[in-house]
Amino acid sequence: MRIQLTPGFVLHERPYRDTSALLELFTREHGRVGVVARGLRSRRSRLRGELQPFCPLLLSWQARGELGTLTGAERRPSAMLAPGDALFGGWYLNELLLRLLARGDPHPGLFDIYAGAVAALAAAEAPAPVLRRFEAGLLQALGYGLVFGHDVESGEPVQPDCDYDYRLESGPVRVPPGQAGGFVFSGARLLAMGEGRFEDAAVEKDARRLMRAALKLYLGDKPLKTREVLESLRR
Amino acid sequence: MSSPLIEELIEALRCLPGVGARTAQRMAYHLLERDRAGGRRLSAVLADAMDRIGHCAQCRTLTEDSVCRLCAGGSRDRSQLCIVETPADVAALEQATDYRGLYFVLMGHLSPLDGVGPAELGLDTLAERFAGGELAEVILATNPTVEGEATAHYISELARREGIRTTRIAHGVPLGGELEYIDGGTLSHAFAGRQEL
Ligand SMILES: [Zn+2]
Repeated sequence: MRIQLTPGFVLHERPYRDTSALLELFTREHGRVGVVARGLRSRRSRLRGELQPFCPLLLSWQARGELGTLTGAERRPSAMLAPGDALFGGWYLNELLLRLLARGDPHPGLFDIYAGAVAALAAAEAPAPVLRRFEAGLLQALGYGLVFGHDVESGEPVQPDCDYDYRLESGPVRVPPGQAGGFVFSGARLLAMGEGRFEDAAVEKDARRLMRAALKLYLGDKPLKTREVLESLRR
Repeated sequence: MSSPLIEELIEALRCLPGVGARTAQRMAYHLLERDRAGGRRLSAVLADAMDRIGHCAQCRTLTEDSVCRLCAGGSRDRSQLCIVETPADVAALEQATDYRGLYFVLMGHLSPLDGVGPAELGLDTLAERFAGGELAEVILATNPTVEGEATAHYISELARREGIRTTRIAHGVPLGGELEYIDGGTLSHAFAGRQEL
């Protein structure tokens, strides 16, 4: 199968044989794809400069079995992610995709969310809200979308002035006044998260706590490497 | 195949970069038929190098000494430190430039997805060096990749904390190159790094 100039990104590159590289791509129409880029690490490679992570690309490859062979790449105009929080944010998005997406499963909606998140990071928007919006979109696309709007036991709409115990596998359940314990969020914060109001620092902080727990269900016990490296850099 | 040992030799030679089955076979027969002395010498030096070559305690480059000759010698300017990714980068700069300072070899670049962080790059050793008070300039010569830029960024922050001047080598259009033939990545990097004239 020949794929011609389809939109995608490079998520990760690994050396392969002498001068080649194994690329993990995330494409709009074909989902995550593994391809070999022959001679990419050789001195004469013309594609070297094009195939940088976080650059929107048009990618061509020939698929045979599990691994395809890259046949072309065109870079579309874009800004680079500034080293620092923006770039670490980008790496974090890539690691989530690599950990949670299987190869060959198209997710055009998630691709658009990813492309938007990368563009926002490149435009030097505050990274934290961008990451929270992406996490919410990722969970949704994988079929694990979080419920924010109603109590999953009573079916009643979430009330801003009530507290809710968030059950990760189902959703929020109202906590009777005066009862402590559980994984508790205020109704007002849940509603704000549902509306994607992550620019509000308090909402973002709660969303981070909730998303981290929700993602952990699917990521398992193996920690995220980007998080570990970022923490060790801050020490 | 009549000889399992020859087969093993051919297989072993294939660990060399650029050497496939065909080339490995040619190498093996060449050594056996025409150059046994060369083959013995190669095997002795190879074994010795594999056993004895480690990393310089100061710059981390490959050396059989505890401190490499460049770091130990008295002829270099100890106030300048050039940060590179690999020992091959040191060799390239030594051959191409008149740089007289010292080097620090990261043996890689930040690569969080592969779990390569500050510890793997020896940034703790580097931070001690920065704190030592001997340095006036840190020259960042990591590669112009996303990872290389990120690595340069973090090291420049470490240096700045100690009040050391940091510079980044220029990247861009190759000497003698024409803009229309240069790949988009290189061109956009060169454009982003434009300088005042
Ligand atoms: Zn040294």
